[in-house]
Amino acid sequence: MKFFLPDSQDLVDPSFDFENEQRAKDRRRQRHDLYAHEVFSQPAFDGFLVSKGMVDGFGALGSRYTLSQRLRLSQIGAPEFFRVNRAPHPLQIMGDCGAFTYVKEQKPPYSVDDVMDFYATCRFDYGVSLDHVILDFLPEADAPGAGPRAVPAAIRRRQELTLEYASEFLHKHTRGRHAFKPLGVAQGWSPQSYATSVKRLQQMGYDYIALGGMVPLKTQDILRCLQAIQAQRAHGTRLHLLGVTRTEHIEEFYRLGVASFDSTSPLRQAFKDAHDNYYHNGLTYTAIRIPQVEGNTSLQQRIASGQISQNQARKLETACLQAMRLFDSGRRSISKVIEVLLEYEDLYAPDAKRNHAKDYERTLRDAPWRRCACDICKHLKHHVIIFRGAERNRRRGFHNIWSFYRHMRDSGTDTHEFTVGQQVAGLKERACRTN
Amino acid sequence: MSDELRLPALEVHQSKGRKLYSFAVDGKLLQDFVTVSRVRRGDGNELSGYQRPEALAHIQEIRAYLEAPSPLIPNSIILAFDSRVRFEPAKGKTSLPYVRTGTLVIPLEKNIADPDKPGFVVDGQQRLAAIRDANIHRLPVCVTAFITNDVRQQTEQFILVNSTKPLPKGLIYELLPGTDAHLPSPLHRRKLPALLMERLNLDEDSPLSGRIRTTTNPTGTIKDNSVLKMIENSLSDGVLFHFLRPERAHGADVASMGEVLHHFWAAVARVFHAAWGLPPKKSRLLHGAGIISLGHVMDAISRVRNVPLIPTEAQYVEKLMPLQELTHWTGGSWNFGNGERRKWNNLQNTPGDIELLSKYLCTPYQKQASRSL
Repeated sequence: MKFFLPDSQDLVDPSFDFENEQRAKDRRRQRHDLYAHEVFSQPAFDGFLVSKGMVDGFGALGSRYTLSQRLRLSQIGAPEFFRVNRAPHPLQIMGDCGAFTYVKEQKPPYSVDDVMDFYATCRFDYGVSLDHVILDFLPEADAPGAGPRAVPAAIRRRQELTLEYASEFLHKHTRGRHAFKPLGVAQGWSPQSYATSVKRLQQMGYDYIALGGMVPLKTQDILRCLQAIQAQRAHGTRLHLLGVTRTEHIEEFYRLGVASFDSTSPLRQAFKDAHDNYYHNGLTYTAIRIPQVEGNTSLQQRIASGQISQNQARKLETACLQAMRLFDSGRRSISKVIEVLLEYEDLYAPDAKRNHAKDYERTLRDAPWRRCACDICKHLKHHVIIFRGAERNRRRGFHNIWSFYRHMRDSGTDTHEFTVGQQVAGLKERACRTN
Repeated sequence: MSDELRLPALEVHQSKGRKLYSFAVDGKLLQDFVTVSRVRRGDGNELSGYQRPEALAHIQEIRAYLEAPSPLIPNSIILAFDSRVRFEPAKGKTSLPYVRTGTLVIPLEKNIADPDKPGFVVDGQQRLAAIRDANIHRLPVCVTAFITNDVRQQTEQFILVNSTKPLPKGLIYELLPGTDAHLPSPLHRRKLPALLMERLNLDEDSPLSGRIRTTTNPTGTIKDNSVLKMIENSLSDGVLFHFLRPERAHGADVASMGEVLHHFWAAVARVFHAAWGLPPKKSRLLHGAGIISLGHVMDAISRVRNVPLIPTEAQYVEKLMPLQELTHWTGGSWNFGNGERRKWNNLQNTPGDIELLSKYLCTPYQKQASRSL
């Protein structure tokens, strides 16, 4: 199975000095920074998923790219922009339109030509057809006797629109003799409606189909959809799960024809999740929170208003960092470290319902970063477990990607049968043997 | 146990009843007798103190400067002492009626609580914090102090020293190229662009010679900010990036960068000669949107294959020619496609319009790049 990492310009600054928390003065964003694949000497993912919505930005959601970066991307193409030649193994790049960015619109703001143009100029290896996400899940519509009224017309319209786009997309793909491999998108509101979409996409000629709108679904519902699709899936049709990672079901997905998926969750959990911030051998740990005094808004406000002393906050912050340093060199006990961590936590989060004592104890007792073989943990040591600032948090996210990929590979879903880009010819013959 | 610090000082009679004391002291020692009076409201809602919190990022910048070789802090720290501090005049007569030498005597107490210290920082808390944190042995600083038991006087002085007008940005940019010091990061980042802009504006053979409006060149018509933006874009994502040389002065091969900019803008002047001579009101070419968008064109052209690293003016001219029929700098209307039409002068210096124009102008080079594959 292939794991694609959705791009949102997640990079780390190699010049960052963790002791003094400073960067090189001449560092230039993106140009001098490193992507995850430039950090690791072993593979951590198979490719990027680059969304038009993410690159262009849509509506209130601004772009993660500067205009200069967007122009450079379109002129030199994604492989050069993302410096994929620096990866430890070949990376492929898949483009999609980022349907979640415009989910509230009546119609997608792009035309098939816009999307096609984007894929061609960026020189992607794969291109996903234009789609419109269906957010509702109405499995009751599959029940015998449920009339067409069980599904609102607006929802049906989205599926129809998505299929029309897919047909136009494939047609124009052939006519334009594009080099990228096309994927059709299946949208649905129930297992049967997804299966119908897949069937129609196969009839159009697609043998690689992306399943959209599954992000909010429960794992059991995803599995039900995959099972319904299984009945329609032609031999050789591969599936891509858009935005879905359910690590515990990877093998089952694989058996049901999923050849690839993309997800940001290993990255995002590092700094968004309340507890599961650090992956290790299929387990997760809570990262040690030591927020920056300057950078924590509520703390900053209470300091400015004179409610708490800045000096006190800084002393505790420094003491926490020092305690972690001493802990990692074996000169401070777990209980002493937790004591100072909680003292600081009382200051920056006095209203927290429960403190992190238990979670921290487990993290420190197991000290998983000491046993991790990834390049980040080897070099960064205890800093990787500290929840503080983008440079540490994103590196922990990178570690999670690496760890997740490793775990996935160990679960026996490893396939090497397709490498588009290098061997476009002969692809069809070698297409996925999923069973 | 109590002690005293005795410092040689000058007493200055400034106006009726107002005396100032001027002296030097190691900044590392100041913490023993000086504190910061932070603003807050007490239980009865009454206001006390006046200072804001330390600005940690700012302190970091000062600290890095202090840790560099031979730092210099010429401006005085301003302190307010309470009446426990006294001045002992030196014996003998002074020739000037408003100044006399002597000794300032400051009581020192071990383990004194902050609010009980005899001195308060009226101005310079970030500098003092940086000296406190810096990895240096000592740093004597000049201090100007007044003695008062009235916190109102301190507050007044605090407001007065901190409500000055910041320097105009344009003046700072114009001054930047002439500095060698360790500058704060945001200014450091602008130094190279400012230097390149200076070259463009001052070099006699520059196509933009004298045309960029700066503090010392008020008759220029092109906005300094637009030129800086154009240069910065190219330094991060365009042709100028390739001439960054961290080991050299200014971190760049400035001569080559200057050459690229000269060649390109000379080519622009030739290709669009009619629009080039006009002020921004009559031509969008030298307007912010035009300058920044053409900067993107410069980068796009320089990226196309079969062009040596520093394209010649003639090469730029050749590559710019296709834009002649696509542009409407001085009249008519732009047709951006997808039904997006704009009257020639209905293009503003906004991110949206700059993007629209930049993408439009870069389109020919995009196709060329794909074809050359």
